[in-house]
Amino acid sequence: MSRHIMYSVREGMLGFRRAPMATTVSVTIVSITLTLFGLFALLTYNIQQLVNMVRSRMTVEIFIDYDLTDNERMRLEDRIRQVKGVTGLFFISKEEALRRFREDFGDDPLELLGENPLPASFQIQLDPAFRVSGRFQSVMDQLSALDGVDEVVGHNKLFQVVDQYSYAVMLIDSVIFILVLISTVFLVANSLRLTIIAQKRTVQIMELVGATRAFIRRPYLIQGLLQGGIGGAIASLVVWGAVQFVSLRIPNLLTAPLLLLVVPLVMGLLLGLIGSEIGLKRFLPV
Amino acid sequence: MIQMVNVGYRLGKNTIISGVNLRVNAGDFVCVVGPSGAGKSTLLRLIHMQIFPTQGSIRVADYDAHRIHPREIPYVRRKVGIVFQDFKLLEDRDVYDNVAFALYASGVKRRHIKKRILKILAEVGLSHRRYAMTLELSGGEQQRVAIARALVNEPFVLLADEPTGNLDAESTRDVLGLLKRINTKGTAILMATHKEDLVRELPVHIIRLRHGKVIE
Repeated sequence: MSRHIMYSVREGMLGFRRAPMATTVSVTIVSITLTLFGLFALLTYNIQQLVNMVRSRMTVEIFIDYDLTDNERMRLEDRIRQVKGVTGLFFISKEEALRRFREDFGDDPLELLGENPLPASFQIQLDPAFRVSGRFQSVMDQLSALDGVDEVVGHNKLFQVVDQYSYAVMLIDSVIFILVLISTVFLVANSLRLTIIAQKRTVQIMELVGATRAFIRRPYLIQGLLQGGIGGAIASLVVWGAVQFVSLRIPNLLTAPLLLLVVPLVMGLLLGLIGSEIGLKRFLPV
Repeated sequence: MIQMVNVGYRLGKNTIISGVNLRVNAGDFVCVVGPSGAGKSTLLRLIHMQIFPTQGSIRVADYDAHRIHPREIPYVRRKVGIVFQDFKLLEDRDVYDNVAFALYASGVKRRHIKKRILKILAEVGLSHRRYAMTLELSGGEQQRVAIARALVNEPFVLLADEPTGNLDAESTRDVLGLLKRINTKGTAILMATHKEDLVRELPVHIIRLRHGKVIE
């Protein structure tokens, strides 16, 4: 068995030397297609990240009644925590609010009015799932109904705008993404399928001299895996290079997790195997 | 041993061969002679289990064509060597690799492969051409590579389908001489040809085939 595996690996690699033109064309097609796919996946990921970032910066502020005692405030805090969608809150006392006002505006309301007019408040953090306009409004309504709450300030309008645009962008992006994915699968698999079909005669001769089907198939599957892998690796490198290039000029514009950079490589390997398998099935059923 | 009993093969409505009885024992040299379309190649393809009879029975070594599992066919082909008019060599490999391939396919250990190839190439007179690509060879040399490949697994019979069909007179004599030498060493030969004059002088058993039937 190991003899066969060694032979298959060697033959799989020799396939590059035996058909350099077909292999080069195939690897080029695979790398170009997967580069486009990788760049588009990167774009999609970053659009999603941008939308999430905008949403994460949107907080809800609850201004509490001016004359609320400490005990009442603590009870209110407990009730706020129980509202579905609230993941955390941060209390801003009247004094803290005054300090922030002075910092932000330079004026001192205490000097002007003789007393601190600013109410204490809670800054609420929401579960990301509740940062869409419909669910956000429901949280706002629940918070407004609590005793001791004077006013709830959110950015529901902004949420609606973000929702509306992000939905449209993601819809267009998803449609294009699916089209690019289908084209990638088709082009890569077909390119490798054609490489195999070009060697139909060789496969038939192998059958005539007593090679088992598994023995014939293995080198071609390895060859497909290698071609897809090389094409995918080139695509991964190009995408990585593009990220570096953009980041040097506009820092922090793009984020690219390692997994995203590895996607073209993994897809190349997978599609290489599938393409070769389809090609072999044409004239060498299992 | 090959045994065909009342073998027929139909392709759609056409009867390619019918009622063929044939027995090839170890050491036999049998020539199937007949014009183009007589069914000679079909006969060899049936024995090589590329196709299966629609009538009658064929036994090749220990395998019955009606009962054989598709996974067993490669093992039959290792016991039955075959050569063709168009040689069917792998053009992207040299002589050595063309022959080596048949051994790798049979699972022969790497350390035995070189020895066996050098021996068989010496037998067919191609030791000096072992690193030549097949397209650099003459027709006669290519047919000798094909014969070496067919024999390297030490089959009990060699099927030769018009082995001299693409060769000039000198190469034809060479190849026939080689087949004769192989036969004298014990390998049975079953050769199909449309040139009866080629085999008249050979000490062979001749079967005449016409319109798919044995006439003599």
